[in-house]
Amino acid sequence: MTQSTSDSILALNSVSYSYPDGTPGLVNCSLAIKRGSRTALLGANGAGKTTLFQHLNGILKPQKGTVYFEGNPIDYGRQGLYYLRSRVGIVFQNPDSQLFSASVSEDISFGPINLGLDADTVRVRVETALESVAMSEYADKPVHHLSYGQKKRVCIAGVLAMRPGVLILDEPMTGLDYQMQQELMNVLEKLHNDGMTIIIATHDIDFACQWSDILSILEGGSCAGSFSIDEILHNFDLLASYRLGVPAVAKLYRSLIDTAILKEATSRPRNTDELIVQIKSTAIEHGKSGFNR
Amino acid sequence: MAACVAKNPLFPFWIAAFMVAVAIFGASIPPLRYLRIAVPALGFLCTSALSLAVSINFHDGAPSLSFDGNQSVIIQVCGRSLAGLTSLLFLALTTPLTQIIAMLRLFKIPDILLDIMVVCYRTLFVFSETVHETVTAQSARLGYATLPGSIRSLGALAANLTVDVWQRSCALNIAAISRNSNGSFRFMEQSFSNRTREVSLSLTIGVCMIIIAMVVS
Repeated sequence: MTQSTSDSILALNSVSYSYPDGTPGLVNCSLAIKRGSRTALLGANGAGKTTLFQHLNGILKPQKGTVYFEGNPIDYGRQGLYYLRSRVGIVFQNPDSQLFSASVSEDISFGPINLGLDADTVRVRVETALESVAMSEYADKPVHHLSYGQKKRVCIAGVLAMRPGVLILDEPMTGLDYQMQQELMNVLEKLHNDGMTIIIATHDIDFACQWSDILSILEGGSCAGSFSIDEILHNFDLLASYRLGVPAVAKLYRSLIDTAILKEATSRPRNTDELIVQIKSTAIEHGKSGFNR
Repeated sequence: MAACVAKNPLFPFWIAAFMVAVAIFGASIPPLRYLRIAVPALGFLCTSALSLAVSINFHDGAPSLSFDGNQSVIIQVCGRSLAGLTSLLFLALTTPLTQIIAMLRLFKIPDILLDIMVVCYRTLFVFSETVHETVTAQSARLGYATLPGSIRSLGALAANLTVDVWQRSCALNIAAISRNSNGSFRFMEQSFSNRTREVSLSLTIGVCMIIIAMVVS
């Protein structure tokens, strides 16, 4: 059972929720999200990721259990939800399900206006949010003239303009090309450095291991486990027990160790860049000791 | 407004011609494109004009056509409609709807009407995209290869769209709630750099047209 602790900004304690047609969404789910962390939520389709997110934003109310925000149970009254939703922003998977305004800047202004901000502050927030996702030049474009990736960035800007403390993204990389994925990674990196707590639902184990600090696994509506990346990335047995697949960097690192090309290092690589650094430094060492390449 | 004020029944036609000329020569709308867009509305206008001008009578069971009514009034009504149509087309072909909505917001048009306009405008494109994707998927599997198949595919398309629209409206509602929506869609007011100049110019032209319409009458 997960209890809300002082360093967890959001927590679920034995939460259960079933949809009106009887489909179970969450089953006795317990999870804690650390303040300022980058959490990747992994789970198969139908595992309950979207249901979990909707609980974190107060859209759904648990039928059993408790959801905590900043250490206190969520207040589902008008003021409590207003506060929660101003602090916890969700970017949904399908941008067409999120964007309803005619133009880009109007859509982004929707959240800040709902926060009761004055017109000048709203305008500044819209401009800042557009800059942060590199969409300033599209401010006055109609939404339907944008590409899928651009729509996704507008969705992110719409939530960023509310300046939440927690940003939740449901499958943010789906439908984005490599360039856009890199740009989005940079945006997320910057937000994390600014102290924002970020939660991402993904199927991509490589991305999850590369980007996140904590990896939480959702199975059949309940949290099957939460691990730090260092704990799980190179632990093949643990990965296999959750049927997550093996991250490419871990597989390659293990092969290089097994074939004695690399020596087991104290810090294991999290991504290919770190692995390349290790390979290069090993090559230099071998060069010094007369290793014949 | 000038077309309604004018007592000379032919004056509205001059206004219509002026608006067409402004759209084609002033706003550089290609004439063929203009015609293609205007044709459906002109079709409705012609049908209405005919129904005003022509009556069908039955004498001894045999139908006969008769042209009756005040021809001057009929011409005036058609002229006004045509002037209104060309003015509306000029607006639609030269001004993005996002700006029209923003302008209406500045004129303090009730929020509920603007909310409906915003949602309709946005969902129109989502809807047409869904239709296009579904029809493409159906055509790729020979859904429209035969007449019975086409009818079946059309039915499936309608059923699919009904569910899709319902699901999308639920998703939009959830997305709005997650951003602290209280039910109404409030957005930032757009700023127009030359607003005073443009509003003054359009008011001047409008007033001039009304005065000319009254003088000519």
